[in-house]
Amino acid sequence: MRTALYGSKMADTASGGSGTRSGSKHATTPADNYYLARRRTLQVVVSSLLTEAGFESAEKAAVETLTEMLQSYISEIGRSAKSYCEHTARTQPTLSDIVVTLVEMGFNVETLPAYAKRSQRMVITAPPVTNQPVTPKALTAGQNKPHPSHIPGHFPEFPDPHTYIKTPTYREPVSDYQVLREKAASQRRDVERALTRFMAKTGETQSLFKDDVSTFPLIAARPFTVPYLTALLPSELEMQQMEETDSSEQDDQTDTENLPLHMSTDDSGPEKENASVLQQNTSLSGSRNGEENVIDNPYLRPVKKPKIRRKK
Amino acid sequence: MNRKKGDKGFESPRPTTHQVVCINNINFQRKSVVGYVELTIFPTVANLNRIKLNSKQCRIYRVRVNDLEAAFIYNDPTLEVCHHESKQRNLNYFSNAYAAAVSAVDPDAGNGELCIKVPSELWKHVDELKVLKVHINFSLDQPKGGLHFVVPNMEGSMAERGAHVFSCGYQNSTRFWFPCVDSYSELCTWKLEYTVDAAMVAVSNGDLVETVYTHDMRKKTFHYMLTIPTAASNISLAIGPFEILVDPYMHEVTHFCLPQLLPLLKHTTSYLHEVFEFYEEILTCRYPYSCFKTVFIDEAYVEVAAYASMSIFSTNLLHSAMIIDETPLTRRCLAQALAQQFFGCFISRMSWSDEWVLKGISGYIYGLWMKKTFGVNEYRHWIKQELDQIVAYELKTGGVLLHPIFGGGKEKDNPASHLHFSIKHPHTLSWEYYTMFQCKAHLVMRLIENRISMEFMLQVFNKLLSLASTASSQKFQSHMWSQMLVSTSGFLKSISNVSGKDIQPLIKQWVDQSGVVKFYGSFAFNRKRNVLELEIKQDYTSPGTQKYVGPLKVTVQELDGSFNHTLQIEENSLKHDIPCHSKSRSLEMFADSPLLWIRIDPDMSVLRKVEFEQSDFMWQYQLRYERDVVAQEEAILALEKFPTPASRLALTDILEQEQCFYRVRMLACFCLAKIANSMVSTWTGPPAMKSLFTRMFCCKTCPNIVKTNNFMNFQSYFLQKTMPVAMALLRDVHNLCPKEVLMFILDLIKYNDNRKNKFSDNYYRAELIDALANSVTPAVSVNNEVRTLDNLNPDVRLILEEITRFLNMEKLLPSYRHTITVSCLKAIRVLQKNGHVPSDPALFKSYAEYGHFIDVRIAALEAVVDYTKGTFFKYFDTFTTLACSFIWVSLSLFSRLVTVLFLKGYPYQSGQILQFFFCEQTGDSRLVIILPQISCFHFQGNGEFPLLFA
Repeated sequence: MRTALYGSKMADTASGGSGTRSGSKHATTPADNYYLARRRTLQVVVSSLLTEAGFESAEKAAVETLTEMLQSYISEIGRSAKSYCEHTARTQPTLSDIVVTLVEMGFNVETLPAYAKRSQRMVITAPPVTNQPVTPKALTAGQNKPHPSHIPGHFPEFPDPHTYIKTPTYREPVSDYQVLREKAASQRRDVERALTRFMAKTGETQSLFKDDVSTFPLIAARPFTVPYLTALLPSELEMQQMEETDSSEQDDQTDTENLPLHMSTDDSGPEKENASVLQQNTSLSGSRNGEENVIDNPYLRPVKKPKIRRKK
Repeated sequence: MNRKKGDKGFESPRPTTHQVVCINNINFQRKSVVGYVELTIFPTVANLNRIKLNSKQCRIYRVRVNDLEAAFIYNDPTLEVCHHESKQRNLNYFSNAYAAAVSAVDPDAGNGELCIKVPSELWKHVDELKVLKVHINFSLDQPKGGLHFVVPNMEGSMAERGAHVFSCGYQNSTRFWFPCVDSYSELCTWKLEYTVDAAMVAVSNGDLVETVYTHDMRKKTFHYMLTIPTAASNISLAIGPFEILVDPYMHEVTHFCLPQLLPLLKHTTSYLHEVFEFYEEILTCRYPYSCFKTVFIDEAYVEVAAYASMSIFSTNLLHSAMIIDETPLTRRCLAQALAQQFFGCFISRMSWSDEWVLKGISGYIYGLWMKKTFGVNEYRHWIKQELDQIVAYELKTGGVLLHPIFGGGKEKDNPASHLHFSIKHPHTLSWEYYTMFQCKAHLVMRLIENRISMEFMLQVFNKLLSLASTASSQKFQSHMWSQMLVSTSGFLKSISNVSGKDIQPLIKQWVDQSGVVKFYGSFAFNRKRNVLELEIKQDYTSPGTQKYVGPLKVTVQELDGSFNHTLQIEENSLKHDIPCHSKSRSLEMFADSPLLWIRIDPDMSVLRKVEFEQSDFMWQYQLRYERDVVAQEEAILALEKFPTPASRLALTDILEQEQCFYRVRMLACFCLAKIANSMVSTWTGPPAMKSLFTRMFCCKTCPNIVKTNNFMNFQSYFLQKTMPVAMALLRDVHNLCPKEVLMFILDLIKYNDNRKNKFSDNYYRAELIDALANSVTPAVSVNNEVRTLDNLNPDVRLILEEITRFLNMEKLLPSYRHTITVSCLKAIRVLQKNGHVPSDPALFKSYAEYGHFIDVRIAALEAVVDYTKGTFFKYFDTFTTLACSFIWVSLSLFSRLVTVLFLKGYPYQSGQILQFFFCEQTGDSRLVIILPQISCFHFQGNGEFPLLFA
């Protein structure tokens, strides 16, 4: 049972996308106030641009839509510029980051100075200064571990202990082994009985008693077209089992086993530890295999093309 | 059979130096083969105007000798051994007629089914002893022997279906698939060509020189060259869409298996290089061929078949790393096949009567491999097992003669008249006799080793091999090639040259003469003289026995230590006085004698059965303190007759001793069960073995729950499997299995948990079902009431629950080799026989059908046979139909079927079977060689055989 308590940090604290909450009337929190003030400024900008373009009035919905577009556009510039600057391993965006961003977004940068200096532009008041909302402090649990001496101080701090400390949990152990085995045994038996009964009900059956075909129904014997396959190949269940037991034992085998170069033949592993009767001696494989790298065996050679037919 | 045996080369009227076999079309749909052969023959006698070759079931289109058309006659007398109208219809008549038919086409006598007339234009050519080239075009349609096609009935191309074909047969049966001199003693070099579908691979003997596409690019031709002179009988072929694995340790070794089985092939063959190294080291001789191929195919004729530079195995030998039980068995098969590469394929035999040398040597070096790989305990256990087998067979059926000498070829001189079949030809033998023959051959080799030491023995083998390998490099047919054939006299000469010892008496006793020795031993201790008076009697009048004269080792374990004595067994001396070393007075507790135990022939250096009498405490000492596993096993078997608390204690102590050989401990389980049953009225404590099993395999905190499976320790794995099976044999005073034991086994099944185990538990679960079956006792029936569910015994109901669930789960998650299905079928038959479940063969018949795995079919068929019992002939039609579809699957299966039947002794039915054979002469000699076996089971002794068709 390995249940680590990773977790609660996964749920990100409110992302910056809260600006979409434009219609909210009840601005209560400082954060909301902050965002509303920004939004209002943007609205003013949009309105002044509209006025500049010669509109006298505009529907609220139209203004809202344009505001939304503007906000998205600016956000995109910011996001993209940040990426460019981080891409060059800086933390502060430079002018060139912004320029690249704008170019990338299909904006003709050269027109910008002229536009900025146009005569009919309107000046609007700066947005009111509001306090930047304070991001609530993440819940700290326990003391962060100090850096060990070999880690320089400028590296980030360790995260909270709960994010990496593994605390195994135990279910209340069933102390009674007997009960467990009993349960496993009867469970398996029930499954097997239900399954075979189902198979017997849905297919042909044979019976040992002429007068009763249901108490001990035997699934009818059906001949196979290739009888040796089912008789010799391990069933899927056994294959699975074999893999499981193999992987658990593999660790103590890999160092003793010689892995042949050309072919994997060493599925003989499980017998290794066994009584000398069936002991495997793989010590030769190394030397014999090492000498030749290409197997020369007539059955591996390509089939020849027939010779050209002679005149008859 | 007038051929002169010896180291001199021998003459064949038609020695072949080179043979080309070309099979240019193989049709899987029609199961047919078209091809030609070309034999290069150097006549050794002038006026050779007829050439006799072997060929069976082939259709021969055209024969040309040096490009001239030649007339030919084809006659196979074994096709109709007895004429239908023949009045005499008994086994002896048949047996003689069959032996005569086999003789008439025996290649070793220069005979054959195919007689080619050399065109008169060439007679002069022959007189000058110039080379002849015999070109024969032939085809083969639906072969009944020699080549076996496996074509699964499903959609897709032949390659997608996994269709394949392979050569097979008993002894020399290459003539079944192409015309040749089908003898082990006539060697030649080979060029083999097979044109097959582009998706298929043709595997055959020798080096694959090249593979070339045909012009339409849809087929390819495999060209093989075998430059080492080889007998036609050692030529083989396997074609199929095989997956190819180059052995990572030895690149000249290639393994082939059917599609999808590659992971199993990798695991199964990963061990083979060690066997190679072992044989090469002890024989101080490199593997004689430049390459080696193993092919794993379905519906194998026998599990292992060795041919020149390749071996054909049953695909059922493949296994994954999770399977414990099959692993040693498969490795033994691989080792056997490889031993036969040296002796059997590379070195062949001069004549049939020299067969024992080849089988003996290959079996003997295989034994050395067993000793090195599985340890001395396993080796000694195996030797004892083989010895018991041969002794039991000879005492029951009559002697097995390793080196028969046939004077004048008269049937009357048949040295094996007691057998109802001729031992003159391999093809007239019974299968079981041949198995026992091989068993005896390697045991005799071991006796020779005892006499001359292993070092000399290996030197002899090395000599044979190095002579042969010098001979094999000779370019043309020369007398040198006969060095590659082993003969009895050559082998014995080699032994005397190398060791300087005379082993003639040993050979005379065990090789030239059949039978085993039967000793009865008893003793008395004479306190006054401090002498052990040992009496050893022999029975040499019963069939299958012989008199033994010579040294016999006796080991006497006294208080002061173990003392070996070599007694001289002579004609008239029965009593032997052996002085004792210990003074009996010195120890009061052993007031009777200072003897702890006595063993006769402890090293098994005589092929014998010993029945020895000593008191129970002596057997108990022998079990506890003698370190030889054979002695321990003998003691356990003897203790069955002494159900006392002391025996119980000795057995329990052995069971608990981890250092003790696991097979001994397993045997002790069954003995303990028997003793417990004999002591049932005085038995105290929990049922035998229960507390031991609990201590070893159950949880400390809750003793009724078995630990989750962990089979890392094989010794305890085998014990864990065996103990419940033995416990289920326990009976209470009412002769029922104690409820406590049954519940215990049911709990084992319930709590069985294999999730953490790296090995499969299929064999374990199968044995738990066997245990359930062992616990079943006859139902108490009232007035022969019909068995219905309502009157089902509650214990049986529990057992049936488990069997139903297991059998059904097998359909969803089948176990390896369907071991669980096999056990379930057996258990159901036990329930039927004991009257708990209505007796009905329908279920078994459905499992006996073609398309089920072979092990399942065998189990089902045995149940059907068991069912038919007295009313066999009523079911004869069903039975022969089932049997027919079996014949191709495996001979051993078929002979088991016959065994089951005839052990129960149904004379009328045996007549039916014979009639079946008379009517259905199929051309496959396997059917015929079973016949004598039938006679062994039922007509031994007086040789009387009832008239058939009465």
